[in-house]
Amino acid sequence: MASKAITSTIRRALSKPHGVVSRRHHLSTAAAAATDYEDESIMMKGVRISGRPLYLDMQATTPIDPRVFDAMNDSGINEYGNPHSRTHLYGWEAENAVEVARIQVAKLIGASPKEIIFMSGATEANNTAVKGVMHFYKDTKKHVITTQTEHKCVLDSCRHLQQEGFEVTYLPVKTDGLVDLEMLREAIRPDTGLVSIMAVNNEIGVVQPMEEIGQICKEHNVPFHTDAAQAIGKIPVDVKKWNIGLMSMSAHKIYGPKGVGALFVRRRPRIRLEPLMNGGGQERGLRSGTAATQQILGFGAACDLAMKEMEYDEKWIKGLQERLLNGIREKLDGVVVNGSMESRYSGNLNLSFAYVEGESLLMGLKEVAVSSGSACTSASLEPSYVLRALGVDEDMAHTSIRFGIGRFTTKEEIDKAVELTVKQVVKLREMSPLYEMVKEGIDIKNIQWSQH
Amino acid sequence: MVSRSEVLSLCRAMLRAGRQYPHYNLREYTKRRTLDGFRMNNTDQSKVNEAYAEAKAQLVVLERSVKFHSLYPPKTKNIMEVKLQ
Repeated sequence: MASKAITSTIRRALSKPHGVVSRRHHLSTAAAAATDYEDESIMMKGVRISGRPLYLDMQATTPIDPRVFDAMNDSGINEYGNPHSRTHLYGWEAENAVEVARIQVAKLIGASPKEIIFMSGATEANNTAVKGVMHFYKDTKKHVITTQTEHKCVLDSCRHLQQEGFEVTYLPVKTDGLVDLEMLREAIRPDTGLVSIMAVNNEIGVVQPMEEIGQICKEHNVPFHTDAAQAIGKIPVDVKKWNIGLMSMSAHKIYGPKGVGALFVRRRPRIRLEPLMNGGGQERGLRSGTAATQQILGFGAACDLAMKEMEYDEKWIKGLQERLLNGIREKLDGVVVNGSMESRYSGNLNLSFAYVEGESLLMGLKEVAVSSGSACTSASLEPSYVLRALGVDEDMAHTSIRFGIGRFTTKEEIDKAVELTVKQVVKLREMSPLYEMVKEGIDIKNIQWSQH
Repeated sequence: MVSRSEVLSLCRAMLRAGRQYPHYNLREYTKRRTLDGFRMNNTDQSKVNEAYAEAKAQLVVLERSVKFHSLYPPKTKNIMEVKLQ
């Protein structure tokens, strides 16, 4: 008995990690949730936080829903065949599973399963759509129209096309983030090969007037591509109503696994494109390569779930967004919402706090996992191009914070986020000389700063 | 026709299972979704049998996923749980 106790103590002492992270391994039951955690703190990148921060960055990615995980596991363990193997049961099973997922994805957007091509994510889908369509029609169509607030992959693909000799029009947006339909109408030329406008912006959350844009594209007979990675499963998407020719989708934004997405390519009237991935001709020849069966099943399950839960989630998230915004507005002034409040997806709230320095606000908010205006786009500290396209002032663009609310966010988390944000902003404003001047009534914009 | 006691015991079983998640967000979500789900389907009496069968299938998935998620608990407590003490 005593020797057992000694050996177990020695084992415990040896297995304690000597590292930067100090934590205690605990049993995996509910009782563990209530046991003692005296010095449970995480030390990372020189910052000490007392526990895992609360996650409010749903636009960057979402946790995998347990029901989606469940759908992936069985198949991942047992149905491991290559879906393109035609000669044995393993291949047939895997192919069936992929087809079921295809139907699930197609149902969510109102398309036919034959129009869905699985890819490695929305970035690959965007690249395939933009470059593929233009390369196919390069003899007759030389012009692409997109907006200034698109996702980086679309803008970069357009820049690549410009280097190849195509012409690109980057439409400006109004101050509320929406595209001006008259400008779009005027920009369309006889040799326009593609219009690419994202449905829901990932930074500011505005929903573009998709039906009207689709109508304009139909009148002028131009294929309409949209990056709907942030839109599917969250707002009702119908490719027929919106007259969409190509649509990019991503799984990890709707509580699915990372590394899978899809491109919807319309068949009637047929949109033709040149594939980016050449090979054995899988996925209708548009995307060769073995289908990632497990991920695709997860994507299908996530879409199925999203269809069933859309209304319930929307109600919950809208309530939380109001709670967040009202909670912050009650205690602080000088809070600006970037982007239109009416035409917006409720899970995305991008706020700018006046007279506060952006980076210090983010450093203080270490117990809340949020994103700032510049995080997604560049490693430099430049404010994001989306906010600049909206016409937001430099100082306000630097202090923007994006709160992402999702299915798993709770009321208590929102209350805590409000408390922490208000505390941090008040602390920074107390230190800020600009805020003092504003309080005294001086107009900052008309100050003549003297040179020293 | 399912009886009231069967529905209640199913609801209780789901809530009991959901409490076993070591992850804060999943625990809270399961509790909220189960209660709201049972309340919403309470109104339409003709669809009760269908809803009951669906919930039973979901209970199987829930218990399996709780076991799976409990094998990989988070190594540090969530901020929400730390401050509650």
